Amino acid sequence: MYKRTRFYDFTYYNFVGSWAWILHRLAGLALIFYLCLHIWVIHTLTYGERTFNDVMAFLSSPLFKLLEVGLWGVILFHAFNGVRIVIVDFFKGSLAHKKLFVALVAAAFVLWALGSFLLLRHAF
Amino acid sequence: MDKNFKQTSRAGAVAWLLQRISAVILFVLLLLHFVTYHFLTQTRSVSYRQVLERAQSWWFPLLQFAFLVTALYHGLNGIWSVLEDYTHSKFWRLVWYGLLVTVGVALLFVGTLTIVKLYTMKLA
Repeated sequence: MYKRTRFYDFTYYNFVGSWAWILHRLAGLALIFYLCLHIWVIHTLTYGERTFNDVMAFLSSPLFKLLEVGLWGVILFHAFNGVRIVIVDFFKGSLAHKKLFVALVAAAFVLWALGSFLLLRHAF
Repeated sequence: MDKNFKQTSRAGAVAWLLQRISAVILFVLLLLHFVTYHFLTQTRSVSYRQVLERAQSWWFPLLQFAFLVTALYHGLNGIWSVLEDYTHSKFWRLVWYGLLVTVGVALLFVGTLTIVKLYTMKLA
């Protein structure tokens, strides 16, 4: 009937919803890890102008600009799939959750491309 | 029903709702955060002066503090709901819960300190 996939000791079915679920979790875990780093790094900006300039020079390197593009992508996926979750939970989204997933991920992809252009225009 | 689940059954419902409410708030705040801090910058990175000037407007501490609390709650509660799926013993749940609360309190402290310091620092 459906192709089965395995993640560690749990079995998932190859549905759109299962992929949305596991990717949403992984993206969420990546984002909270990033948030911890972010709060810590931003804290160093208060040590004075010299430290601020050193940190900013380090963070404006092309490598970090590319990581920023990736971060923007993970944020958009989590945010737009999150919209789908809210629509499914509070409105009648479950009737069309697969179509919603495709439409919202497509919208996220457009914003990702647009944002990436804006992020990279000063980078190189 | 497993005796371990009795105490969390009601808290879980509140956490479920708060996770969605904080999600909607974060959707707006995080996208605005990215637009203002990452996309609308005219140069490769923002200057020390620009950051301090913005950090010292009246709305900055209020908005950033709300952002900090909402993001930390949403992220750590997200980790907690993942952990609840994979951790079943009372002991390990307590260990993880304690760890998450500790990380949350520490980052809330560091983040609040950053906001207050930026707000009260003198512009050179």
